[in-house]
Amino acid sequence: MAEAPSKDPAAVWRDLVSQWEKNVNALANQTMASDEFSGTTNQAMNLALKMQQATGSAMATYLATLNLPSRADITALGERLQTIENQLSRIAVALEANPSVKRGRRRRSPTKSGRPPRTKQPPSLVTP
Amino acid sequence: MSAVAGRPAQELSATDRIQTEIERAIQRNVKGLEYLASPAPAVGSSPKDVIYKRGTLNLYHYHPMSDEVYRVPLLIVMATSNRGYILDLAPGQSFVEFLLRSGYDVYLIDWSPPAPEEKSLRFEDYTLDFIPECVRRVRRDSGVKDLSLLGYCMGGVLSAIYAAIHPKTPPKNMVNFTTPIDFASMELFAKWSDKRFFDVDRLVDTMGNVPGELIFSGFEMLRPASRIAGQLQLWENMWNEEHVKSFRMFERWSTDTLPLAGEYFRQTIKELLWENNLYKGELLVGGKRASLRNISSPILHVVAEHDHIVPYQAAKSLIEQAGSADKEEVMLKGGHISLVAGANAQRRLWPKLDAWLSVRSV
Repeated sequence: MAEAPSKDPAAVWRDLVSQWEKNVNALANQTMASDEFSGTTNQAMNLALKMQQATGSAMATYLATLNLPSRADITALGERLQTIENQLSRIAVALEANPSVKRGRRRRSPTKSGRPPRTKQPPSLVTP
Repeated sequence: MSAVAGRPAQELSATDRIQTEIERAIQRNVKGLEYLASPAPAVGSSPKDVIYKRGTLNLYHYHPMSDEVYRVPLLIVMATSNRGYILDLAPGQSFVEFLLRSGYDVYLIDWSPPAPEEKSLRFEDYTLDFIPECVRRVRRDSGVKDLSLLGYCMGGVLSAIYAAIHPKTPPKNMVNFTTPIDFASMELFAKWSDKRFFDVDRLVDTMGNVPGELIFSGFEMLRPASRIAGQLQLWENMWNEEHVKSFRMFERWSTDTLPLAGEYFRQTIKELLWENNLYKGELLVGGKRASLRNISSPILHVVAEHDHIVPYQAAKSLIEQAGSADKEEVMLKGGHISLVAGANAQRRLWPKLDAWLSVRSV
C-alpha cells in the first residue's frame, strides 16, 4: 500500500532537498565521468601550472639579481635541516638502544608507575 | 521550549504545528545570530601527550580513562589527507574517548601539513620509517611487544603496506576502516587522473606539495550538491543546538584538508591509480613487494554501505587478498565519514569494533 503523503511541511521540505541533492549529484557524476570533462579540466590546470612555472622562473631570476634567496633556496635549506633532524633521530634511537642509557633513563623517570595495570579482560570472558 | 515541540509531527494538530514552526522560526533567528558570532566548537580535547614528533609526523598517547587496560595497546594511523580529530570530536562524541573508557591504551599517528622541504616523502618514508618508528616507540612506551594497528582510509593503505612488507613482525591485530585497495574501482578519481589528460609530473614539479585546497576540491566534486544541501539542512535545524554543534564540527574537519607530500602524491597517482599495483600485488616499496597475502594478523575491515569516496568495489579486496586465517569484513550503514564519527558510528561501528578487538587484546 502506498504511504500517505506527509502533512508536515518540514518533512516535505526535507524530502525536496534530499531529492534535489540526489538528482544533482547523479547528473554531475555522469557529466564528470566523461573524457571531455577530464580533458577540459586538466587542460585548464596545465595552463595554470605553466603560468605558475613561468612566473616562478622569472621571479627566481629577479631575486638572484637582487642577491636574495628564492623559494627553492629556502626549501633546499629546509631539506638540509630535515636531513639533520633525521640524523638526530637516528642517533637518539641508537642511544636509547644502548642498555646503559636505558638503565639510566629508567632510574630517572619512573613515570609509567602511575599507569593502570594491563589486566583488563573483555566483558564476554569475565564470569558473572 | 513548548510542550508540543517534542511530540512527533503526525500527532500534532494544525494549530500545534503552526505554533511549533513559529517557535522554530524565532529560534532560528536567535541561534543564527549566535552561530555567526560564536567561535567554532573545540575538537580533539581528550587529554594526550605528544610522545614523538618529526616533521609531518605526530605520535600521541592518550591518557587512560579506566582503572585497568587491555594488555595490547592500540596504534591508530590517521589518513594522510585529514586531521585526526575526526576520531576525537567532543566529549561524548569521541571515538578515542570511547576506546579509552572501554579500556584500550590508545596511541595515534596524526599528520601535520608537510613542509615544503618534505615534498620528497614517499611510501617508503611512511611505511619503512614513520610507522616502524612509531611501532617501536609504542612498544617501548607501553612495555608490551604486541600491538594492534588501526588504519582509516589512506592510513589503512599505509598500515596494510607496512604489514605486507614486515611479515616477520606482524601486528597482533589489524583493523581497517574503509581502506581502498582496488583503485581502478574508484571510478571518478580514476577518470579525473586519466594519464591521457592528467600531467601529475608537471603538477608535483611545479607545486612541490599538493595543496590541501586541491585535495578538498577533489572530495567535494564527488558530491557537488551536498554542500548546498547541508547548508539548507543547517538552516532548517538552526533551532537545534546539538545539530548545529555537530554540523560545525564536521564542517570544520572536512574543510581542514591537509596538503599531500609531492612524491607521495605522485606515487599514489602512478602506482595506485594508474597501475593499480597494490591490488595486483606488484607494488614495490623500498625494493620489497607489498603483497597483501603476506598479512597474517587477525584482520577486521569495516566498510560503509554508502561510501562515495571509497566504494565497496574498491575496498573489498583487502579481505579477499589478506593471507590471515582470522579475517572478517563488516559492512555498516553510513558514509565514509559517518562510519567513524557521529551518532550512527556510536550505535554501529564502535560497539562492533569493541566486540571484535577486546577478545584479541588480552
